[in-house]
Amino acid sequence: MSVRIRQVWDRLFTVLCSGSVGLLIAVLLLFLVPMIVKGGKAVFFRQTVEFRKMQRDLFGRGDLDSLHEAIARTGQARQEVLARIEQFGRGIDTKLLSDEAKDAYRKYGLELRYREVSREEYSRLRAAAKDIRDNFLAALDSTEEAAANRFLDQVDLHRDSPEFQATAVETFFTLSKQYRRILDEMDLAHREEYAAELDIVKTELRNLLGPLPGESTPPLPQDRFGATRWDVAKKHLHYLLYQTKWVPGDSGDGRLVKKEIRRDDPEAGLFAGTELAPLFSMMEKNLERMLEPEWTVYGRYFLDDSTSGHYFGGVGPEILGTLVLTVLSMCFAVPLGVLSAAYLVEYAGDNIAVRVIRTCINTLAGVPSIVYGLFGLAFFVLIVGRPCILSASLTLALLALPVIIRASEEAIRAVPQSYKEASMALGSGKFRTFLTVTLPAAGPGILTGLILSLSRAAGETAPILFAGAVALGPIPDLGLKFRWLFQPTRALSYGCYDITVGDRLAMRVPHNQFGMVFTLILLVLCLNIAAILIRSRMSKKLQGM
Amino acid sequence: MDAIPKRSNATERRGGVQIGSPKSRPHTESAIRPEKVIIRASGFSLFYGEKMGVSDITMEIEAGSVTAIIGPSGCGKSTFLRSINRMNDLIPRTRAEGLLAVGGQDVYDKRTNLVNLRRQVGMVFQRPNPFAKSIYDNISYGPRLQGIRSRTKLNAIVQQCLEDAALWEEVKEDLHKSALALSGGQQQRLCIARTLANKPKVILMDEPCSALDPLATARIEDLIAALKGTYTIVIVTHNMQQAARVSDRTAFFCLGKLIEYDLTDKLFTNPSEKSTEDYITGRFG
Ligand SMILES: Nc1ncnc2c1ncn2[C@@H]1O[C@H](COP(=O)(O)OP(=O)(O)OP(=O)(O)O)[C@@H](O)[C@H]1O
Ligand SMILES: [Mg+2]
Repeated sequence: MSVRIRQVWDRLFTVLCSGSVGLLIAVLLLFLVPMIVKGGKAVFFRQTVEFRKMQRDLFGRGDLDSLHEAIARTGQARQEVLARIEQFGRGIDTKLLSDEAKDAYRKYGLELRYREVSREEYSRLRAAAKDIRDNFLAALDSTEEAAANRFLDQVDLHRDSPEFQATAVETFFTLSKQYRRILDEMDLAHREEYAAELDIVKTELRNLLGPLPGESTPPLPQDRFGATRWDVAKKHLHYLLYQTKWVPGDSGDGRLVKKEIRRDDPEAGLFAGTELAPLFSMMEKNLERMLEPEWTVYGRYFLDDSTSGHYFGGVGPEILGTLVLTVLSMCFAVPLGVLSAAYLVEYAGDNIAVRVIRTCINTLAGVPSIVYGLFGLAFFVLIVGRPCILSASLTLALLALPVIIRASEEAIRAVPQSYKEASMALGSGKFRTFLTVTLPAAGPGILTGLILSLSRAAGETAPILFAGAVALGPIPDLGLKFRWLFQPTRALSYGCYDITVGDRLAMRVPHNQFGMVFTLILLVLCLNIAAILIRSRMSKKLQGM
Repeated sequence: MDAIPKRSNATERRGGVQIGSPKSRPHTESAIRPEKVIIRASGFSLFYGEKMGVSDITMEIEAGSVTAIIGPSGCGKSTFLRSINRMNDLIPRTRAEGLLAVGGQDVYDKRTNLVNLRRQVGMVFQRPNPFAKSIYDNISYGPRLQGIRSRTKLNAIVQQCLEDAALWEEVKEDLHKSALALSGGQQQRLCIARTLANKPKVILMDEPCSALDPLATARIEDLIAALKGTYTIVIVTHNMQQAARVSDRTAFFCLGKLIEYDLTDKLFTNPSEKSTEDYITGRFG
């Protein structure tokens, strides 16, 4: 082969190698950057006044005076919107109107009783009022505008009669006027449709601004506050403004296509021309004044507990749980792994049994993690008695063991024979030599195995799925009575999984979903950096620096 | 014979090799008085599996003397040396035959306490191999193994050994710095000091100067001269001048056999074997 061809080969090889490294970095960035950007939103985001309310209510943080001021300011901005939705709701949901009508009738009965009237007079007036009431209720019930108006005409007949001046019956006339106005704007035939859409609008308003006026405090904390984050608020605003509909497409073959239509769109929007129509543009224009978003750094995210379902709060318990699980599993796996490796290298020699064991270990390193999860369930959980931290970390330890054994084996094997000879020649036994000479010299290599398996143990979901991870559970108190060992725990990997599969959640708290991944990456990074620092100090010492 | 009276039976059992067989009976002027014998090999062989390392070695080494072992590469010098404190045990499937005794104690006896043996017979290796610990910890490693914990005692031992190994002046300032930061020659002297700390009777040195420059070599040789008398030293070397300079007696090994063993002056000036002469005159090898 000529020198030229060899040069070309060399060049090609260099290009290939650097190309693959470049590709690796690109993939890594492609993978990490979105994670970090999306996850970073869990910490850096625009908070709203609802966030401040939540922080005050759930964690007792923040300045009360300025919060009250903000609530007053935003309350003003919200007022008109809230009034409008209430007003409109009456037309759709006639229950309110009919309740008021029934109430007025009852009141009138009481009024009559305290007035000095004869028995005949009493029955006559009462019957008349009853007649008015029934007419009004009939108007509410009728589904045709003409019929409804006819019933209302019946009601209004009595408007000028002096008998009812300044009595509760007058309420019927105001109600009738209101209802006439609603009838003008609304197509009675679509009342059901209005009601359904109004429900959605109301839900989204609740998601944005919290419970609507007149509603009682919801039992679940996640329903007590509106949108705490500006990005979530914008999403809900979109749901509020637009309605997705399946309409015939342009292709003319009758195929349906999905289309987003503004609810107040003059041509297609359901609420166009109604009393509610201005609400949408008002919301769009004034949302910022209603929520007062401002940039914030939510550093307590890494410490705070969360409400159920991770609507609010942080991932403190998850971080603690992950740390406890990881550290505990390493506590189980490292001594066992190093001892096994020491045995394999120093004592076992080389025979068929040892070779079989080695093959088994190598195979174990490649077994899918869900298999470990099922094994943990079938073995550790059964032995310990319940899914808990102990069984979960034992399962994780089992997962980490093969990697640790292999790395330690290589490291112990790589310790120069001359070190061991030096120690032996000074009269130290085999075990003593291993402990004082071989182990320190193999330390950096063993730590490499630890780093590899630590990241894996911290990030795995499947092994702890059945063995002790929960989405909502106690926080390990790390007390000396070790009761926490027998409790399940939360973990970052499992939490992320839980949000992702819980269909409603992933949509409402994407920041938490990615926040957990982000935190997990940070945590693993920190653990790794710590281990790498220790390792470099160790190997520096070994090199005499 | 008196030095190891109990051994005679065992020797017979092992193949009937008579201690002090006429073949290696030294010259009259080089004869070692029986009570001065510290290491005694008699028909000693060592095998690596099926392969022979050394075979049928019979020699006696005088207490307090310096004995050099020379010979071509692969002739079994290291093998023999490492047999004396059983370092060969670290190699799987080694097997010894015949008798090898240190201070009247059969080395390859099953009941021999290896820890005690290696404390008595220290070893310095070809390449300096200090532990990746501080100078202080390197030297106190042996004493600590023996259970000496007192700081003052350890301090005294460290200083004494470093002075004995002619290293004290150079390192007294940084006793707690890593031993790996020393130069090769310093490291080798440290290894000698480390061996001295165990207060051995015998020091085995396997080509201690092969990795060192002439100056460092000279220092080690001075050191050997200074240690002579207090310690019995057996040194393997490829350097004939060195053997001639430092040793009282010299043994010439070839192909796993002891060819000639005599006073150094005699062996270098007037060897009785032809192959010895060939080797030391450089016509062989
Ligand atoms: N670990 C071992 N396994 C098998 N055979 C060995 C081993 N060590 C040495 N030998 C063999 O034993 C014989 C003697 O080796 P030894 O190391 O004692 O030679 P040496 O005289 O020290 O040589 P050198 O001067 O090169 O150090 C050689 O033939 C060698 O091949
Ligand atoms: Mg050798």
